[in-house]
Amino acid sequence: MPKSMSYAILEAIQGEMQRDKLLTLLYEYQRPVARWGGRTINLEAEFGRWRARFSPIDENWIVGGAMGMSMIGVRAIAHIPSMTTLIPYELMFNHAGKLRHMTGGQAAFPMILWADMQGRAPFQAGQHADAGLESCYARLAGLKVVIPSNPYDAKGLMISAIRDVDPVVFCQYSVPSSGPDVPDEPYTVPIGQAAIRTEGKDITIIGYAPQTIEIDKAVKQLKERGISAEFIDPRTLAPLEQVMEAIIESVKKTGKLLTSDDGSYSFCNCTEIIARVAEAVPGVRLKRLAFPDAPPPGAPEMINYMRVSAADIVAAAEKMVRG
Amino acid sequence: MNGEGNTSEDQAAFSTEGKNLKTVSRRTFIQGLSAIGVGSIFFSSGAAKQAKAQNAPTYVDGLSTEQLTAMYTDMLKIRLWETKIKDLGLKGGFRGVAHLYVGEEAIAVGVCSALRRDDYIASTHRGHGHLIAKGGDLNLMLAEITHKATGYCKGYGGSLHITDMSLGILGMNGIVGASHLFGAGAAYGIKVKGTNQVVVSFGGDGSIQGSFFTSAANSASTYKLPWISIIENNQFQIWVRCSDVYGIKDLARRADGYGIEGRVVDGNDVLAVYDVAKYAVEKARGGGGPTIIECKTYRWYDHYGFSGSQIGRDGAFGLGYRSDRELRDWMAKDPIPRFRRFLVNEKVLTEELADEIVAEVRQAVDDAAAFAKAQPVPKPEDGLSNVFAEGAVPLHKS
Repeated sequence: MPKSMSYAILEAIQGEMQRDKLLTLLYEYQRPVARWGGRTINLEAEFGRWRARFSPIDENWIVGGAMGMSMIGVRAIAHIPSMTTLIPYELMFNHAGKLRHMTGGQAAFPMILWADMQGRAPFQAGQHADAGLESCYARLAGLKVVIPSNPYDAKGLMISAIRDVDPVVFCQYSVPSSGPDVPDEPYTVPIGQAAIRTEGKDITIIGYAPQTIEIDKAVKQLKERGISAEFIDPRTLAPLEQVMEAIIESVKKTGKLLTSDDGSYSFCNCTEIIARVAEAVPGVRLKRLAFPDAPPPGAPEMINYMRVSAADIVAAAEKMVRG
Repeated sequence: MNGEGNTSEDQAAFSTEGKNLKTVSRRTFIQGLSAIGVGSIFFSSGAAKQAKAQNAPTYVDGLSTEQLTAMYTDMLKIRLWETKIKDLGLKGGFRGVAHLYVGEEAIAVGVCSALRRDDYIASTHRGHGHLIAKGGDLNLMLAEITHKATGYCKGYGGSLHITDMSLGILGMNGIVGASHLFGAGAAYGIKVKGTNQVVVSFGGDGSIQGSFFTSAANSASTYKLPWISIIENNQFQIWVRCSDVYGIKDLARRADGYGIEGRVVDGNDVLAVYDVAKYAVEKARGGGGPTIIECKTYRWYDHYGFSGSQIGRDGAFGLGYRSDRELRDWMAKDPIPRFRRFLVNEKVLTEELADEIVAEVRQAVDDAAAFAKAQPVPKPEDGLSNVFAEGAVPLHKS
């Protein structure tokens, strides 16, 4: 049984809290406790209540408090639950990404907004099955936004986020455990480095977080049908420059870019990737698959119909390659 | 001077140390204070009741001649530096904006005089006074608000964001209420670090309306953070009269709902402000938790800019949302001559020495204007830097 996403993330934070004696975690109802293979991580028990602080249901305190702490050299992680992703948006929009610039480099917020994300699950509806909000943060100057798709990347990206001196938004979607085994010791996955999940030559497919499950299935089915797809997981959504180098190199090879996103069609994060590829690689074929511009319905018949599936990706890719 | 061992070079220039002034006795002070009505109103949290019962100490009697003189000097610096900004602004061609603090000097100076250099303040859009009172350099400030390359923020920030992190100033902030939240967060950080520093968050009367203040105050109370919230009630939220948007008269009453001691003080009386601020600072430093202090004052100029003002004349007249008479009534309570009268009456200063200080500050302000004028403008491409700690972002024009 590989380590779960939540165990891998807490293991990252535990190691960093041991290394940085001031690093502090604020959270509301999800206590920082995880178990795996007979081992338990309990940050409250290990580091005490000042450094692992159970907070009120008040995302402005959790995020704004972490920001204030980080201003005086106490690095802080603000963990907020999935239905509150945008409550601290004003703090991240007007302060987190702007302070360094506004003060000519004098001051900054070296903090981490660890935002749980929801994803398109049935039986939730509306406020509890949304997705794509990472693009709201990725569009803000001065913020770094990372979005792991497996426990290995989650641990490495969390450690990079904690060690970064700029504010980082760490977006955690619930994904089944997959990918490489997670080492016990600390390691980093550099911010800005995309992962080529599958190499191919006929078409480039881009997606992240829960969509990687659908894309993985689609890539296997396409292979059976004689289509060689290259699948790239950006892992970082902002800043995007370095990620785009990998994507553009791939599209120059394949000539075709298909993106698959759980976010709503308009302004989904892959829209930005498509725009940049269109500028950089003239004449390339482009296609964006995404959730419709509608709130997520609760009934499984509706939401599963609306969400992009492996079959949708296969159909779109075949049309682009053969059509 | 901003408390123990905190004399900046700039301030040293105005020090009257060695001028053989009379030391003021505790008795003289207390008499003087009662003459000018020093005091503050408590609100009824348990801590306040206790403090009242114990007849909370009067801290002003501990102020030395040097400290008192520095306080007077700092108030003048704020007044004359900002008046210079107003005059430069009215001349035309001014490279910047300003939210003037004139009239409220006693608050910044009274509060910051109770702080150590390594204590923190979180300031507001109307924060020039806070920066000066915490030891800010007049030259670098004027260079910054005219967006010169050598200003405090290298021209990036201007008036709303002037900061000197080395003086413990956690940035001026153009978003109302944010100062309370970041200040309380910093106070939490102090508890994690285990030092005995304190944080002061300044905010206007509008700054406690939104949820940031509630987030800050609730956590400061829950965790007994070393946090002092200074509510500068200058009667207006932008152009909206405070009494039109509050159902309460004394804003410090809100403190009770958070379980925090609330105090109201005459914000035009620098010694009264100092006294209550020092009390709150000592309490916070000793682990006694937060205090919310409302300072009643009045804004002499418009919310923003220089409407209704003239070169060589104090105050902004003819503004639609207030009467000239109301402004004149408040200008009669000008905190600076009031403090000067007290200092002269108590023989801390002579009229001649006070005049000398005025002349020195005036010269320093003129020098700051000349300094700022001579400074280079930033390189255009610098706008692409300081987005992240490293590197520059692409321009996207070609």
